[in-house]
Amino acid sequence: MTFAPDSFSSRRDTLAFLICLLLSLVVRVLPAPAQTALATAFSHSILAPFLYLQEQAEVVKSSRDHYVATIGVNDSIALRALDAAGLEEENAQLRAELGLSRRLPVSHVSAEVLQQALPTAGLMARLSVGRAQGVHPGAPVVAPAGLVGVVQSVGERFSDAILWTHPDFRVSAMTADGGVFGIVAPRGSASPNTALLELRGVPYQQQLPIGTTVYTSGLGGADGVYPRGIPIGTVIAVGEEQEGWSRTYIVRPAVHPASISHVIVITGEVGDLSGVFGTVGDGR
Amino acid sequence: MIQIRYRMLAVLLLLVALQFVLRPFLGDSRTAPDLLLVALLLYAIQARPGHAAIAGFVVGLLADSLTPVAFGAGAFAHTVVAYLAAWGKAVFFAESLPVSAAFVFAGSWLRDLLVLVAGRHMGERSLLWQLTVWSPLKALTTALAAVVVLVLFRRWLRVRVRA
Repeated sequence: MTFAPDSFSSRRDTLAFLICLLLSLVVRVLPAPAQTALATAFSHSILAPFLYLQEQAEVVKSSRDHYVATIGVNDSIALRALDAAGLEEENAQLRAELGLSRRLPVSHVSAEVLQQALPTAGLMARLSVGRAQGVHPGAPVVAPAGLVGVVQSVGERFSDAILWTHPDFRVSAMTADGGVFGIVAPRGSASPNTALLELRGVPYQQQLPIGTTVYTSGLGGADGVYPRGIPIGTVIAVGEEQEGWSRTYIVRPAVHPASISHVIVITGEVGDLSGVFGTVGDGR
Repeated sequence: MIQIRYRMLAVLLLLVALQFVLRPFLGDSRTAPDLLLVALLLYAIQARPGHAAIAGFVVGLLADSLTPVAFGAGAFAHTVVAYLAAWGKAVFFAESLPVSAAFVFAGSWLRDLLVLVAGRHMGERSLLWQLTVWSPLKALTTALAAVVVLVLFRRWLRVRVRA
């Protein structure tokens, strides 16, 4: 490799470094709309071909995964077909696995999650759908197991969604019977691979048993962001208590962002999705 | 000399393209190698610190556009890492694969540290897990990727690498 040691301490290099640092700080303190505008401009210009490449790579990966899954299902069906009594049950299970997409009673679009490299990527996801597909800011993002996040900004072909791990994330929550309400917010990490949520503001006299599933409440009137009935997670412990006032419960999320490659963005009017989702899975 | 520059540019563009094409196949994004950072460090160790800082700023800005959680934090982090890489290479760096790997490892971890500190979006515990578990794992895979690139393209990059 070639060096020019005598030139490394040049004032010009130091000046360039300081100017870049200064510009970074200026960009960092810009108002959020200006930052979003910059990000959108870069995404639709210099980054557009690379994001297109990534989107196509995601499609290829999904196609391969579906092919492998289909072969597996076919083999499984061929084996089970020998047992006629079990065939009906098997078919019912396969129909159930066809996906949340067919069960959702509101308009929605499927999207690939375009994973990125920065360590903050666990707080926000870039989705492969945008304004052209009907996505709008505030659109809920879900997976078959439950709530993932909400769309924050939208470009023509891409959108950015904050995930439930983001410190600004909040959602009004309730139990299945609608007896207990509270606000769900991120709690942080219990271990390297387990991020948790917390259900805040539950009245002190109302107790939630461990294992209770928490759903979106749909509260917020006509401007409410989240439809009612999307699973958020499962209560696993009691957190802090304000003696005589309220309790905070620790919630294991239904969906972990690191495990998702595809999501569904709800683009239609907010409604009631109770019963659409399956049981809450392990959020690890 | 011009041919060498074109070859260098070709390798860097290949790394940038692979960053987007291979990412879906590399599994968990928290541990997947960051080829964009590899490209930046490869450029930085052969460039003047000022040029490296500018390249770092641009790469960081693009990374921020892809994950606009803390816009500007990536630009800040990449600028610092690229500048230090260019400066450090001139002063300390020996051309051996283990040292190159350690160099990329340190660059990747430092980048993560600066992004997280400048972003201030993570709680203490999440920050701790990120810096002690996920960032080192990502730095390790990134360093391995850099070694592979150095071995495969040592002639194009005009790098004399020793094991």
